[in-house]
Amino acid sequence: MRKTTRKFLAVTAGAASIALLATACSSDSSGDTSSPTSGSTGGASSDAKVTLKVATFNEFGYADLYKEYQQLHPNVTIVDDKADTSDNARAAVQSSIASNTVKDDIVAADLDWMPELIASSSFFADLGSDSVKDRWPDWKTAQATDPDGKLIGYGTDSGPEAVCYRADLFKKAGLPTDREEVAKLIGDSWDSYFAAGKKFMDANTGAAWFDSIGALSQAMINQQEAPFEDPSTDEITVTNADSPAKAVYDKLTSPEVLAQSAHLGQWSDDWNNAFKGDKWATQICPPWMTQIIAGNAPDVKGWDVADVLPGGASNWGGSYLLVPSGGKNVDAAKQLADWLTAPEQAAKVFVKYGNFPSQTAATKDASVTGKTDAYFNNAPTGQIFANRFAPISKQPYRGSHYFPINSALGDAYTRVDVDKTDNAADSWKKFLAAVKDLG
Amino acid sequence: MTSTQTSPEAEPTAGDERQRQTRRVGFTQTLGRWDVKVSPYLYISPFFILFLVTGLFPLLYTAYVSVFKWDLLLGKGDFVGFENFSTVLQAPVFWKAVRNTVSIFLLSSVPQVILALVIAALLDANLRARTFWRMGVLVPYVVAPVAVGVIFSRMFADQSGIINQVLQNIGLNPIGWHSEVLPSHLAIATMVNFRWTGYNALIFLAAMQAIPRDLYEAALIDGANRFRQFFSVTIPMLRPTIIFVIITSTIGGLQIFDEPRMFDQYGRGGADQQYLTLTNYVYQLGWTNRNFGRAAAVAWLLFVLILVIGIVNYLITRRISSDKSAVSKKRKKVRA
Repeated sequence: MRKTTRKFLAVTAGAASIALLATACSSDSSGDTSSPTSGSTGGASSDAKVTLKVATFNEFGYADLYKEYQQLHPNVTIVDDKADTSDNARAAVQSSIASNTVKDDIVAADLDWMPELIASSSFFADLGSDSVKDRWPDWKTAQATDPDGKLIGYGTDSGPEAVCYRADLFKKAGLPTDREEVAKLIGDSWDSYFAAGKKFMDANTGAAWFDSIGALSQAMINQQEAPFEDPSTDEITVTNADSPAKAVYDKLTSPEVLAQSAHLGQWSDDWNNAFKGDKWATQICPPWMTQIIAGNAPDVKGWDVADVLPGGASNWGGSYLLVPSGGKNVDAAKQLADWLTAPEQAAKVFVKYGNFPSQTAATKDASVTGKTDAYFNNAPTGQIFANRFAPISKQPYRGSHYFPINSALGDAYTRVDVDKTDNAADSWKKFLAAVKDLG
Repeated sequence: MTSTQTSPEAEPTAGDERQRQTRRVGFTQTLGRWDVKVSPYLYISPFFILFLVTGLFPLLYTAYVSVFKWDLLLGKGDFVGFENFSTVLQAPVFWKAVRNTVSIFLLSSVPQVILALVIAALLDANLRARTFWRMGVLVPYVVAPVAVGVIFSRMFADQSGIINQVLQNIGLNPIGWHSEVLPSHLAIATMVNFRWTGYNALIFLAAMQAIPRDLYEAALIDGANRFRQFFSVTIPMLRPTIIFVIITSTIGGLQIFDEPRMFDQYGRGGADQQYLTLTNYVYQLGWTNRNFGRAAAVAWLLFVLILVIGIVNYLITRRISSDKSAVSKKRKKVRA
């Protein structure tokens, strides 16, 4: 009896694995053969049953919206295909492009991946339509538009940066603690930010002014027009002696600025743990960073948000929804992506999950601007980030080498600031060598 | 007439039948011969067919990719010959990765094999609740490598890690587990050893149990103590197992990927490539830099490195017990 069940198990297991292989093969081949034009047939009739798979990562806050959409469109079933990390989500998109197979009807992508996706823009459907015209500011759509003017992504959230600060540490240092006064103290330029830092450090509270120069570099690079590459030729320019990134590097690795650093590399275990103590007083803060601070130090009282950013308004992060053109239900997927990124829906996501919208109308919505955050001393975060969002006029040019160059630059800062393995000049030399190896 | 008429007719038929019969016997015999000669190969063929598809084909295809400019997303570009190899061989990062790989391999494999031998010898002794202890050493192996990476990277955190706190409590200086080269290798080797020592110990234990007990009795009568028994009976008898374990742990040790990748928040092997291993470098070239041609070149260089170290290993381990190899040489002579 036992033997027969075992045999039976073995046989079914074998059969199942063969079936799995077969389905894996068949889904591959269907993806290979379906041409971009054949994709639109499935969604043509609005009553036909349609299943749409949406690939996301982290938290897009769409669970309620899926339910709502399925009620509005009873023929549509939405399957959530969430990746465990954003890195894995990026790898999944890359491998689906590399093998020219379509697994998901809608694919979410981070701003940082857009340059490489635009390089293969023929893989994605043209999303341009009248209903999304002027939904986003130009800087947001520019990152999802290919050189021929084809829009391949609908913007979801955005990251207008403000400055989060520890009011309790400011008080200890004898500095103002009120939001508006702090904004004045920090000022509109990086020089005034570091001057305020000098005052703070002179008070000897034991805390540093910021976490690491690498974190500041990200904010300062976001304010450049073309930090690493020439927008017209895609040629790497960061290695030139007069590159703006080098000027930023020299400023940040100067002894005065390094003295204000807590030497904690962003996202490291030490960094995450340090939020529980009094390690540094200010943090460059897009809306999503407020969630990270609150998550890392739920018991720390004293964080607040100032409506200011040294160096001028700029954006850090944000995502897009893309529709692969080889999918079976391209039209239905487009419709869903359009609906999910409409201002009304984006406002709902912000109120519940805190992902700040990138849709111009949504940032002016009363439910968005009226939101306050109890953790940040009841700061009107909705209004502050809307104020930080409005003046953003540009995003840095991200060419095909943006991602690896930015990683190498981050390493260069870490070597000087966190690991202290190199001095500024040697670390820059290593950075130049790493960039040269990319070519 | 009739008889003569029938007989020539009958004769050939009978002969035919006889012939057919002999032929039939001959065919079954050849079938049988084929069965004996061919079926063993048929039985092992699934492995080799699978290997051909999943092992040899990728190996050759990687060689093909390595001589082209090849973008992850855009696919094949121009033929560049050995340019990918020459750029990689000139890049300081590659040599750092070789240094790290060899160093982490030595720091993990050597203590691992020695420790596993000792643990196996202890488990081979008469213990109460034997199965419990034997299964116990396998527990770390069950833990997912990524989980091990997360746990150990917290323990080894430079400022908030428990290990540096203990060091500071007993009056020592904290160690830069992430910023310095050798400490980072030690930390990663610790993770690898944590995972694999028990596994190797069980393999050694299984081989130890197969050693005839009368050898120990004879050694005991000759007055050998436990240590002498271990070095003169156990180790020589374990020679094939030791070679097996050393070769598998060499291959594994040179391909360490998860542990250094989980060791910090970026998984790029440190800001100064303090613990970037060759497999991490392959991943970084292929997926971060999207340069498949160069990644393929590094993968091939790694393959060559493993082959070279594997051969060196084999030559060294062959001499682990000279008596034993002398015996096998004699046997070979007899056979010849």
